[in-house]
Amino acid sequence: MRPVLFLICPVLLFLGASYLLPFLGIVQLSFTDPDPGLAQYGRVLTEDLPTGVIWRTLRLCVIVTAVSVSCAYVITLLWVRGSPLVRSITELCIMIPFWISVLSRAFGWLSMLSNRGLLNTWLQDLGLIDSAIQMTRNEFAVVVGMSHYLIPFAVFPLATAMRNVDERVLTAADGMGASRLRIFWQVFLPMTASGIMGATLLVFVFSIGFYVTPALLGGGQSVLVAELIYLWLFQIPQWGMAAAMSVVLMLGVGGILFILMRRYGEMAK
Amino acid sequence: MTNHFQNDLVEILKERTAKGQISRRQMLQGLGALMGTTALGLGAGSAQAQEGRLVFVNWGGDALDAMDAAFGQPFAEETGINVLYDGSGPTEGAITAQVQGGRPTWDLVDAEPFSSQALGRQGMMEPIDYDVVDPAKQREGFHWEYSSSCYFYSYVIAYDATKYDTPPTSLADFFDTEKFPGKRSMYKWGAGMWEAALLADGVAPEDLYPLDLDRAHAKIEAFKEHVGAFWGGGAESQSLLLNGDVSMALIWNTRASLLHKDTEGEITFTWDDGIIGPGGIGVLKDNPGGKEAAMNYIAATQEPERQVVLFQMLGNGPSNPAADALIPEEERRFNPMDPANLPKQVALDMAWYEENYSAALDAYLQIISA
Repeated sequence: MRPVLFLICPVLLFLGASYLLPFLGIVQLSFTDPDPGLAQYGRVLTEDLPTGVIWRTLRLCVIVTAVSVSCAYVITLLWVRGSPLVRSITELCIMIPFWISVLSRAFGWLSMLSNRGLLNTWLQDLGLIDSAIQMTRNEFAVVVGMSHYLIPFAVFPLATAMRNVDERVLTAADGMGASRLRIFWQVFLPMTASGIMGATLLVFVFSIGFYVTPALLGGGQSVLVAELIYLWLFQIPQWGMAAAMSVVLMLGVGGILFILMRRYGEMAK
Repeated sequence: MTNHFQNDLVEILKERTAKGQISRRQMLQGLGALMGTTALGLGAGSAQAQEGRLVFVNWGGDALDAMDAAFGQPFAEETGINVLYDGSGPTEGAITAQVQGGRPTWDLVDAEPFSSQALGRQGMMEPIDYDVVDPAKQREGFHWEYSSSCYFYSYVIAYDATKYDTPPTSLADFFDTEKFPGKRSMYKWGAGMWEAALLADGVAPEDLYPLDLDRAHAKIEAFKEHVGAFWGGGAESQSLLLNGDVSMALIWNTRASLLHKDTEGEITFTWDDGIIGPGGIGVLKDNPGGKEAAMNYIAATQEPERQVVLFQMLGNGPSNPAADALIPEEERRFNPMDPANLPKQVALDMAWYEENYSAALDAYLQIISA
């Protein structure tokens, strides 16, 4: 064990120097700019704008996480347990978006969902709707765009969990006369719980820091935490507030991670 | 995701290497800096004072080429000083970071005049040397200590002409969805929108400042349901109208002119009740290329012929009134400062913005994102 620890030392040093030190600088800033004290934290946690933004971010991220993990579960099921053809098609569908930049994807969704976009045009041509439905520049678009980005991240932990499911247990359940639906709900799903937990964690933590997708697809009406931090850093500099918001975000995400990891750890036993 | 910003920087570095503006070694240093060393300040060593070179930071896009063609190239021919244009966006926070980090790498910035003024008072900008820069080549009412007037734009009412038989002619029309049905779009960062709300509410142009923010916010809050999107950038405002997501929008005249030309007037705009925004050039304190060279550059941008080039490439109105008459007759209708268009508009008051922008934007965002 010792030599291994020795070998990862440089990495730890690098991470410490490049992440921990600057972060301590941010912590310091949050207590000192513009005046020493807790005023910045007081403002972040009580003023209408920051609290509103924090709640919106949490709410949106919970929705996005639920949508992404559910979609990813179905996709992973096809990928792991489908026929060879289905497997290779799903594999492509998972990998190709992975290679496209977040910006292009946001613009892609815009041209798909906007009032003169593909979807509205098709629906109108088919006579299903009379006038365009607004599907962009709102939270719906943000959820679609963010989930689309995050689904592949949920797929991998789910795939690991599904591949680890012991086939014999499923056969046994089948042999005892359980219906396919019951096998899924009572045997397969609980056995992949650790994967669901891992995927949820990963997606949720990722989603909290999103900036480009909500800014482009949200139509300016869904300012999230990352954008507010940007605003306070650059547009109307109040670095103490930006720093305090970052620390609150770090602690929040850290706390959620801690709680989930403990639960996740117990479930894995 | 947040990585995008760094990717963009990498793209800029690559572009500039391809153009031969920076050497490969500098690019590697730049990449190294992006990979984390900037946070430690190790990257600062590469930013040495350099004679014979100026770095001008603007907001990117077409402005990179346009400013190079209009001002950078003739200036280099005259003085031998090369001007590099960098589109990373001179926000107040970015300039602060440059100056406070010691050894800034930027010389000149296309920053909001009120930002330059605020930063100047904190000792981060050089005062403009009006012995070199000629105040007679600027417009009345647009002189600042730390920012030299360099161009003008305007927030104008752009609309989908196919949707309205009678075109809108005032901000009251913009806020009237009964007479002019359809979704609207407004600017996400507030500037000009408070003025628009107050003018629509019946405040006389000469009584605008100091802005009655409560009244403006009440007007915007009541109108918010009709706003399909608050745009954050020029390209976005353009696509909102093009995609039919909104049918009327308060957008920059530069984008409105492009829309008018691209759609052959199907989407067009009016100067009525336009809100003029002034642009200005600021010089960072202890800029690497030297204060004198920077002031000379600013003076060179005052040449009316060069301002006409900028107008033709970007659509910005000239800061030197002598340039208005040099614009070809058929293009004058697109110049916000043209004697025929200017009287229909009001101008943003930079002194008010310097004092109040921060608090006003906080309150505005609170309303539009609720």
